[in-house]
Amino acid sequence: MLRVEGLTIRSEDRLLVSDVSFALEEGRITCLIGPSGCGKSSVVKWLSGVLPDGLVAEGATHLDDERLSLPTPAVAYQPQQDSLFPWLTIAENAALGLEVRGMSRSEARAWVLPLLEAFGLGGQAARFPRELSGGMRQRAAFLRTIVQPGRFLLLDEPFSALDAVTRLGMQTWLCERLRETPRGVLMVTHDLYEATQLADRVLVMAARPGRIVADIPITPPRAARTEANLAEIRTVLRSLLMEEMT
Amino acid sequence: MPFIRHAIPTLLIAAALLLAWQGYCRLAEVSPLVLPAPSDVLAALWMDRARLALHLLATVKVTLVGFTLSMVFAFVTSVVLHFTPWLRRGAMPLLVASQTIPIVALAPLMVLWFGFGLLPKVLLVILVTFFPMLLSLLSGYGRLPAAYRDQLISMGAGPLTVFRRATLPVARPLFLAGLRISATYAVVATIFAEYAGARQGLGIYILSAKNNFRADLVLAAVAVSAALTLLLLGLLQLADRLTGRRFRGGDDVAG
Ligand SMILES: Nc1ncnc2c1ncn2[C@@H]1O[C@H](COP(=O)(O)OP(=O)(O)OP(=O)(O)O)[C@@H](O)[C@H]1O
Ligand SMILES: [Mg+2]
Repeated sequence: MLRVEGLTIRSEDRLLVSDVSFALEEGRITCLIGPSGCGKSSVVKWLSGVLPDGLVAEGATHLDDERLSLPTPAVAYQPQQDSLFPWLTIAENAALGLEVRGMSRSEARAWVLPLLEAFGLGGQAARFPRELSGGMRQRAAFLRTIVQPGRFLLLDEPFSALDAVTRLGMQTWLCERLRETPRGVLMVTHDLYEATQLADRVLVMAARPGRIVADIPITPPRAARTEANLAEIRTVLRSLLMEEMT
Repeated sequence: MPFIRHAIPTLLIAAALLLAWQGYCRLAEVSPLVLPAPSDVLAALWMDRARLALHLLATVKVTLVGFTLSMVFAFVTSVVLHFTPWLRRGAMPLLVASQTIPIVALAPLMVLWFGFGLLPKVLLVILVTFFPMLLSLLSGYGRLPAAYRDQLISMGAGPLTVFRRATLPVARPLFLAGLRISATYAVVATIFAEYAGARQGLGIYILSAKNNFRADLVLAAVAVSAALTLLLLGLLQLADRLTGRRFRGGDDVAG
């Protein structure tokens, strides 16, 4: 279990995030939802050890009761922007995290090549990101994140750049990959349909300053989720988010 | 060969201009001492080819040595400045201010200090080309998207790994653009340095042709130096093509 306690983030002139605490469990998906600009990315960046210059944070992270210093190999981070390196092939991109952590180029390559097929990237190893569709690029970015040894994944709006149809496919696909390789996931999203479809728990953030206003478990098993049994939770979430807007 | 198809309009325009020049000289009966026709220039070039080649060789040597050294210095300096922010902040205004000096005007001083050998000319080429190269490198480094850096740091990368794996590749296109500009400057600077004092080189060739009122030989040497610049640019292009498939964007890939 990864616990974040009392996270407060300040910029030079204002309080961005105030006293945020939450826990991530292995094998569980936690969605972080909230209005644009409320500080979701800032929380995830801090936990990844890449808080931008000019922001100051205080707060503690514990992994199974052991205090962590950041960045930690226990978490793998996927930034909000499509951050595949355009000059690396899909296989090289996927292997990047392994190489940076000290694996040799050939070893890292041998590690990721057999995985491409399951990620819908069969035959694409030598192609460059610009030659792939948006959905394929997202899958490659996710492959790069999940091959890293971290027990926790931080995904910042992984699907927000995709069209609605591709996005639905990718959500199902993400759950399958996570069933094969269980991790604790923190996924940032704007989309409350996505959140209720995927998450075991939804954290709702409010803005100015960013803080967690609700922590809602989604109990129906993922396969049994329907419009009907999610309707109530969606109404609750929607009213929480709308409250935010006014 | 798409390249040749692209080049056809350019070649046609150039041919038309040369033809107009030729026609004007013939019809208006301009004295070849003032404005030689392209055919006269070509003839002079051919007649004097042995001497011209000798001088060209001297110019090529200075240009290449100066250009290469400048590239190495600019790269090393850029890395030092990149990793020492206070030094960069301190040095940049001075470097920018140094560009207000018309550096080629220092050529006579170089001759005064270092004589007629290779050194003063190479120094001048370095002085002229160093700054555009350095600036293109530094602004290239500044283009690193935060998401690329964040991605690497979250993977546990240190500053050197970030530099090698992301900053340098991102800076590559700007650096190449800087090299292209510098290649042009390098040829000009060499000729200027030779002009100021040399035993051999296109600059001194032009000077003596001028003193003998041989406009045709001056133009022949100008044509040769233009060809030298084109050759340098072509070599840079070739190096880019050979090493950079992965850096080329969109539509280029299919071909
Ligand atoms: N480097 C910085 N310096 C100062 N303020 C910043 C900096 N980075 C972000 N902010 C501010 O922090 C706030 C939160 O930004 P953040 O990117 O975390 O929001 P977000 O919830 O992820 O938004 P979105 O849903 O649009 O991605 C914003 O108001 C932004 O202006
Ligand atoms: Mg964000």
